[in-house]
Amino acid sequence: MSGFVNFTDILKPRNTKFGIVKFMTKKWDPMKTLTLDKYYGPQDLKKVVADSVYIDSFLEAESLRTGVSKEQLKKKVLEYLDEIALDEQTHVMRWMGIVFLKICFMMKIGVFVNEAAVLKLKSTLGKNPVLFLPTHRSYADFCLTTYLCYHYDITLPAVAAGMDFYSMAVVGQSMRETGAFYIRRTLVGSPLYAATLRHYVRTVVAKYGAPVEFFLEGTRSRSNKSLPPKYGMLSMTLVPYFAREVSDVTVVPVNISYDRVMEQTLFAYEHLGVPKPKETTGGLLKSLHRLNDHFGNIYINLGDPISIKEYLDRSADQLVDKSIHSAESLKPLDLQQLTVDQMDKVQDIADYVVTLQQESTVVTITNLLAIVLMQSLIVDEALSLEQVVDKIDWLIDVLRKLGASVFENDLKASVERILVVHKQMVTLDGDKLMLVPALPMVVSPDVQKKMKGHILKAETMVNAIPIIQLQLYVNPVLHYLIPPALIYAVVCSGDTTREQLFASYCKLRKMLRHEFFHLEKTEEMKFTQALQYCMDNNVIRDSIQNPGTLTSGPDRELQLLLRWSVLPALTTLATCVDVMMQCRISDHAQLLKLVQERAESGRCHPYCLSLEAAANCVQGLTLYGALLRHKENEISYEVVPDKIQECHSLITSVLPKINVDFSSSNTVISTNSIKSKL
Amino acid sequence: MSPGLVTSAKNMLQNTADDKNNKRKTVNSEKTSSFSDKNKNRSADSKKKYETIIKVKSVIPRRRQDLLKWYGWGYKDSMFVLDENTTSFTGSRYLIGGKNLPYAKQWIKEHFDVDISKPHKVPQIPTTFPKSRLPDNIKQELEKITLLSTDGMDRLIRAHGQTLHDVYHLRENSFPRIPDAVVWPENHEQVEEIVNSASRHHFVIIPFGGGTSVSGSVTCPANEDRPIVVLDTSDMNSILWLDKEQLLARVQAGIVGQDLEREMRARGFTVGHEPDSYEFSTLGGWVATRASGMKKNTYGNIEDLVVQTKVVTPRGVIEKSCRVPRLSCGPEWEHIILGSEGCLGVVTEVTLKIRPLPPVVRYGSLVFPDWDSGFHFEREVARQRLQPSSIRLMDNEQFRFGHALKMEQSWGGVLLDGLKRFYITKIKGFDPLKLCVVTLLMEGSAEQVADSEKKMNAIAAQYGGVPGGAKNGEIGYTLTFVIAYVRDLALECDIVAESFETSVSWERALALCRNTKARVRSECAARRIAHYLISCRLTQTYDAGCCIYFYFGFKTVGFSDPVRVYEEIEEAARDEIIACGGSISHHHGVGKLRKKWYTSTVSEPGRLLLLAAKQALDPDNVFALGNMAFDQYTPDVVKSKL
Repeated sequence: MSGFVNFTDILKPRNTKFGIVKFMTKKWDPMKTLTLDKYYGPQDLKKVVADSVYIDSFLEAESLRTGVSKEQLKKKVLEYLDEIALDEQTHVMRWMGIVFLKICFMMKIGVFVNEAAVLKLKSTLGKNPVLFLPTHRSYADFCLTTYLCYHYDITLPAVAAGMDFYSMAVVGQSMRETGAFYIRRTLVGSPLYAATLRHYVRTVVAKYGAPVEFFLEGTRSRSNKSLPPKYGMLSMTLVPYFAREVSDVTVVPVNISYDRVMEQTLFAYEHLGVPKPKETTGGLLKSLHRLNDHFGNIYINLGDPISIKEYLDRSADQLVDKSIHSAESLKPLDLQQLTVDQMDKVQDIADYVVTLQQESTVVTITNLLAIVLMQSLIVDEALSLEQVVDKIDWLIDVLRKLGASVFENDLKASVERILVVHKQMVTLDGDKLMLVPALPMVVSPDVQKKMKGHILKAETMVNAIPIIQLQLYVNPVLHYLIPPALIYAVVCSGDTTREQLFASYCKLRKMLRHEFFHLEKTEEMKFTQALQYCMDNNVIRDSIQNPGTLTSGPDRELQLLLRWSVLPALTTLATCVDVMMQCRISDHAQLLKLVQERAESGRCHPYCLSLEAAANCVQGLTLYGALLRHKENEISYEVVPDKIQECHSLITSVLPKINVDFSSSNTVISTNSIKSKL
Repeated sequence: MSPGLVTSAKNMLQNTADDKNNKRKTVNSEKTSSFSDKNKNRSADSKKKYETIIKVKSVIPRRRQDLLKWYGWGYKDSMFVLDENTTSFTGSRYLIGGKNLPYAKQWIKEHFDVDISKPHKVPQIPTTFPKSRLPDNIKQELEKITLLSTDGMDRLIRAHGQTLHDVYHLRENSFPRIPDAVVWPENHEQVEEIVNSASRHHFVIIPFGGGTSVSGSVTCPANEDRPIVVLDTSDMNSILWLDKEQLLARVQAGIVGQDLEREMRARGFTVGHEPDSYEFSTLGGWVATRASGMKKNTYGNIEDLVVQTKVVTPRGVIEKSCRVPRLSCGPEWEHIILGSEGCLGVVTEVTLKIRPLPPVVRYGSLVFPDWDSGFHFEREVARQRLQPSSIRLMDNEQFRFGHALKMEQSWGGVLLDGLKRFYITKIKGFDPLKLCVVTLLMEGSAEQVADSEKKMNAIAAQYGGVPGGAKNGEIGYTLTFVIAYVRDLALECDIVAESFETSVSWERALALCRNTKARVRSECAARRIAHYLISCRLTQTYDAGCCIYFYFGFKTVGFSDPVRVYEEIEEAARDEIIACGGSISHHHGVGKLRKKWYTSTVSEPGRLLLLAAKQALDPDNVFALGNMAFDQYTPDVVKSKL
């Protein structure tokens, strides 16, 4: 997705007198994703599901299993359907649209859309179901694609929403009436619910004619970078294709990039272990006044649509027979489910789509500014605005070479705009760009009790919060930087041959599979490209003393960027290894606490305090084989001695030797602003 | 959409890897189930594949001998009892159960001159059995797959079917060979594993369903040196799915007929396949013998009912990849399985047609002055394709036998019977020693049934028939299931009795019945058999012909080997049938009893095709039952070793 994509602000035209009302009362005759002889409305869908052969057969079997009468179970199914099912109320849509636009203008945001991609997609609608699979970084994601569809006269998507919204007064119902359907987070222990949901989703995809939208990652990524996908929803939505109820399914990866994520502070706290507050309408109303601020731009980028049919045909490696004919196709259509083989394919697709979401990332000025400021913190040297702009300019060049798309016209103006958007995070102190520290805080015993991890000192938290927030804006760009950064880190630990380098690189990538999601099968290609990049850009070069080996190159500036970009992840990994080597066996929660504790006492990069990062590293180590995962009542891990030793020596050898003081004594942390705030 | 921070980045890759491990674990986990808990789920394997699975609680327990007679036909508690004063049928399972049968004794006396005062010969339960030849390593391997038993009784009662020959050996405990072990797989996958094991270890598998075969097909081959394992399908009795819209059901092949029918009826449907053995025989058995049911006119024979079969052969699983109503794709290989009599593989799953239950079921009967007029009536009904669900013609002997099993009645019933009798014999002038009865079973809407009855009566009138009442019809059909019990009583009274059937074209049918009866009579005369019964009925009608069912029994006093004598006479009768243009079997199958006529029936190339099928599907002869011409198959040892 490199190169220059044109983005259009779809809110701007509404910013006129009566702009909102005029637009929200426009004639509503949207494009459907399916051309059908008979369309099923929201109520029809429920009826189709309730009367389906699948539900009937399931009830029959379930009734025998549980001894509950079929009638009672059927009643339960109808209740479930009422809980799940979406609705369609045009007037609610119009009112919601007005509220949405009002709030957008209050937040002073621009919604920039890759219009060419939308129009291209729209021109192909009508043939088969479409799935929108956006990244999930904020609750705002829920409204954005729906509004986008309204803007471009496409049927509002059926959006899978969590039960958190269901229980919200008015909001829950309004979301339902604009196409949201509700899914429970876990299907375990309730086979009847699972069956109802499965069949409902399947029916919506096959018969409703609206795009279906859900978040592959399953939850808002608190780290602002990709999470490994969940496979449940995708497998449900693709059943109609495997059962050939539809000829194909189009999957549209969508990346939504934010200049400022509303939840940034909450997320930073969650990383430290402070649980998220419960979603309530009251809470929403209370937070409304905080929205009267500048929130910058949001970029919605649609990736190239994937035809599931083509994708599967391509990966079918002459096993056509096996994938088309299965015991499943001998069942009644309604009862057909995915075979093990098809489930593998679905997982493959999900993983692939996440990488496509990554490739559609739009690097925002916030990201660039965050990188520059983070580096400034690390070298403990504040930069002037001019230097910052120069640095960003250089960074854009670096990232574009690495394949990123950066949408920017006027750099200086943009940086100034972002300084306003993020005035609570960064500030110009005199001429210098500085980080705004958090207010001193008292951690109440109440909060302490709820904390999921180690009970951190108030001071640690105060120091960590702003840095973690800043890191959240560095994170979306990291997937471009990590491959060359790891290559450089390995080379830094001593001259190495290409083969040795590749071996170490692969090991590290495996350990970081969960921290930096990537596909295993494309790793060799990624490595080759990153190596080439490092060579071309003087990060490393062929050694003259030791022919046949690689050694560090002359580009200090780029090397610095690469070195620190991988620092938090490698440090967390090293901490996890240390902790596990010490305690040999530990349950999951305890392990994370110990990692946090050690990161706190070791004065590591504050992002190393993140429970999420620690969990990712533990999973990576398990994948690597250094830990054994046991699941009885709760998850616990056991060390595999020789493997963990192997990890230990590799990580310590490549760990960048950077010691930074992230406390308030760092010169890049503003001292003025505290006083002014006080 | 967030399940908390700590678990939020749950590793899905890891989870799926775990799942796969778990799957393997369940397959390998030790089975620790006992024999008494047949109806409990032994494992959840098939549940994963079929979440709509209906686990059926079978009437028949895993220890069949607990409910069923080990030495004869049917339920332990149901049998004819003769004593000084009365004849009765015990138990409460059948319409005549627990009732006195006042007319029976006289009939028995008349036909067989039996001395009722003699004590009954109920055999002693056997205590010694041939030692199991199954090597320990195979036993252990099989036990890992599924439940296994080497108990003598378990093996003995699965060594045979229900031919006269089988029952005689059984009562004497004189089988030359019985199986070495019994296994009870629960699903298709386990059957695959068992068959794989058989191929590797060179043991023989005998698929066993209800054990009701009357062709000797399931009888343990006497000259088999390899270990023999009976694969009892009765634990494979789940309904995997039921599609009420498509009117189809996918059922495991071990389900017993009455269980299948009960489950379907409870849901408002019926399969409608009711062979006389359907209380005990299984779906897989029906497929393997090309079974035919009483109500085939409405629901079709087994080949019409089956939409799809899944069969495990030593060469792999044979199943069509699509479930379609008809296919033009070369020969239909499913027809290789239909009628394969257990010699090519094990039927594990079947997709069947089902029908909504008819709102009205009505019996009827028609009385004709003689066999020929009854026969012509049947022919006419078939010509017009007006057959109700079932239409049968009984000859005079059978009519009188039916009468002999009539229950004690109230005086009103007696009076009514008397009036009817008076009307038929005196007013219509029917000869009681010649008249024949047609029984009818009509199903459908009230309108359809009434219409059918009207048409039957009208056609009957053309051939001199008069309505004989619904009750007589119903009794006729109840007797169907009870008749099988007669043989056990007969054996106790030194009478051997057996039935055999054939199919024949319309124009040859009358001569066939006449000639066959005559042949039996002359064979009896040649052997100086004074007390015997030969009777027939016409049980099925088709466009091109009909099915004739013969009953033959004789008193064996004075014969050292009555079974042999019986078999000689039946063989002579079959020769006569074939000479008259009849077939070797309409629905009982060939088995071992009718091998002699197999090749001449199907022609020499036909026989070669049969052996080629064996070579293709079971080259090492794992399924070594030796039915039809399969005993002429010798595994090409050199080839199979390569």
